[in-house]
Amino acid sequence: MPPAGIWIDGLVQSSTYITMAFGMVLVFSILGILNWTHGQYYMIGAVIVYYGVTAAGVPFPFSMLVVGLIIAGLGMLVKKVIIDRVSGDLYVGAVTLALIFFFEGLASMLFGMQDKGLANVLPGSLDLGTFSVSYQKIAVVGFTLVVLIAMYIVLNRTKIGLSIRAVAQEPRAASLYGVRVERVSLLVMGIGCMLAAWAGCIMAPVYAINPFIGRMPMIFSLLAIVIGGLGSLSGAIIGGLILGFLNSVMTYYISYYSEVVLFVLVIILLLVRPQGLFGAALK
Amino acid sequence: MNVWLNRFRTYDWRNMWPKVVAAVPVIIFLLIPVFTQGEIVLNMLILSGIWAVAAMGFTLILRTGQFSLGQAAFMAIGGYTCAILTVVLGWPWWWGFLLSGIVSGLIAMLIGSVVLRVGGIYFSIITLSLTEVIRIIAQQWESVTHGSRGLITTPPPNIDLGPLHINFMANSVPFYYLTLILVAVTGLVFWQIGKTRMGGTFYAMLANQTLAEHEGIHLMRYRVIAFTLAGVFAGFAGAIYANYLTVISPLIFGLWQSIQIMMMSIVGGMSSLVAGPIIGSTVLYILGIQLSRLPIYGISQLLYGAVVVLVLIFLPKGTGLIDLWPRIWRKIYREVEDYEIPGETRQED
Repeated sequence: MPPAGIWIDGLVQSSTYITMAFGMVLVFSILGILNWTHGQYYMIGAVIVYYGVTAAGVPFPFSMLVVGLIIAGLGMLVKKVIIDRVSGDLYVGAVTLALIFFFEGLASMLFGMQDKGLANVLPGSLDLGTFSVSYQKIAVVGFTLVVLIAMYIVLNRTKIGLSIRAVAQEPRAASLYGVRVERVSLLVMGIGCMLAAWAGCIMAPVYAINPFIGRMPMIFSLLAIVIGGLGSLSGAIIGGLILGFLNSVMTYYISYYSEVVLFVLVIILLLVRPQGLFGAALK
Repeated sequence: MNVWLNRFRTYDWRNMWPKVVAAVPVIIFLLIPVFTQGEIVLNMLILSGIWAVAAMGFTLILRTGQFSLGQAAFMAIGGYTCAILTVVLGWPWWWGFLLSGIVSGLIAMLIGSVVLRVGGIYFSIITLSLTEVIRIIAQQWESVTHGSRGLITTPPPNIDLGPLHINFMANSVPFYYLTLILVAVTGLVFWQIGKTRMGGTFYAMLANQTLAEHEGIHLMRYRVIAFTLAGVFAGFAGAIYANYLTVISPLIFGLWQSIQIMMMSIVGGMSSLVAGPIIGSTVLYILGIQLSRLPIYGISQLLYGAVVVLVLIFLPKGTGLIDLWPRIWRKIYREVEDYEIPGETRQED
């Protein structure tokens, strides 16, 4: 049985993957495209919040909110200016993959290559007898919970959420009932990018920041989506939890090979159950 | 004789000009070492040739409607096979080179026959994971691959052909011709595939998978064939790449190389199995090299991404740089209404 710290680390990792994967699935189920640039929005979020806190001196929670809105705007801009002009799944995929280079180049131009760390925004730790948990990690998990509850309320209790679900289910019928599909998909793109940026922001004080931190979370949230089933929102959450804990626990036993084992497990899962654990609930 | 004369007389000479113009770059490529032996030029052409082979494989897989992000993984398998066989086990170089393609093809066939059962976006994600798995294994299996430090490859042996002494260590010219031969062989094989019934089958699968399946095409079989062929040639390309760089490390074959291969193929144009990837990889590789000379760090990546995005936005759907070719000839032969432009499929209304 691994020590408690490993389990807590697993929970923290899961929180990132869940927040990222949730946005990705949301975008996929509405727009029908896989946004490969998602990890770079995570990175840009972390970079901007770093500057917001250190250079501009804006308090962390407030700058996080602002960064979320900025990245949401950026995502909408990218959708409007670039993705909408390219047709065909293949070419949309290629464009979002090319944007990875664009954003990473931009970040390494402006931010520099070296690792930078955000001083602990929430210093101190909670002492729980045999082990202790830093407040920052508690904040990560708490924030993820708040985001998920907020997303649940938005999707299930508001009119916007209703239209989002309608578009996900049947875009043509939704547009017949007066839902502006174009506007909804723009909004969803914004929400997805905002979630990625918030995941980056909340993880910024925990890990080092550099222009390439977006790569691994992107790959892992893709795997989480595959585990949960492409297009299923609850699947993304459970996939993220499974992946985070498995990765953390296996890293404890077999260090670097845990990633190989995870990839192989996902491949086997896909072969046994191609639609993922929870099938395609939305699409 | 009379038949030949007749054919000669009735031949539409306008058909010839595109072929002549297309032959010019081929001859130039063959003769480049005569004009210049500068390492910079040769280096650029060798590496773009290596990426061209991988991009051709990507296009072949794309023809079956699948989107592989694992081409760099097969380059890594080929490169490591060659390096391990020659350095660790001490095999003759040419055997190592030959086996690099075969091993990579076998692994592609094994993986493909399992993984290709789930198509579409899942296939992309699995091949992406495969690239990462190969990279991590190469990094962690210290005793064989020497981890991140990389494995120093043994150069190919000298060849004595009477008056001609080929020394791979002296300069890059032998490697240039080796790459050129690989590109030519890959190109010929893929070109012939494109002309046969199998090429038509691939195209049918790209156009409409459901319909193709109902027409009696065994999708799975053709996907595995395409994936295996792409794996074989990517393996050879990886072996040449590793030997040309003289060191193979896990860092040179990653997800980002796979993405680059994909972009080369798509920017070059997937309507052609051979010329499109070659043009795409040459243009993008040289662009990348020129951009990386810029003094500001990161600007090369930024411009590279921007150029690819612009190409994808401004060239119409389904076309790459290669599709400008028939358009040019259409401009030139504009005055003739019913002239059939070579290389362009006419659409019946």
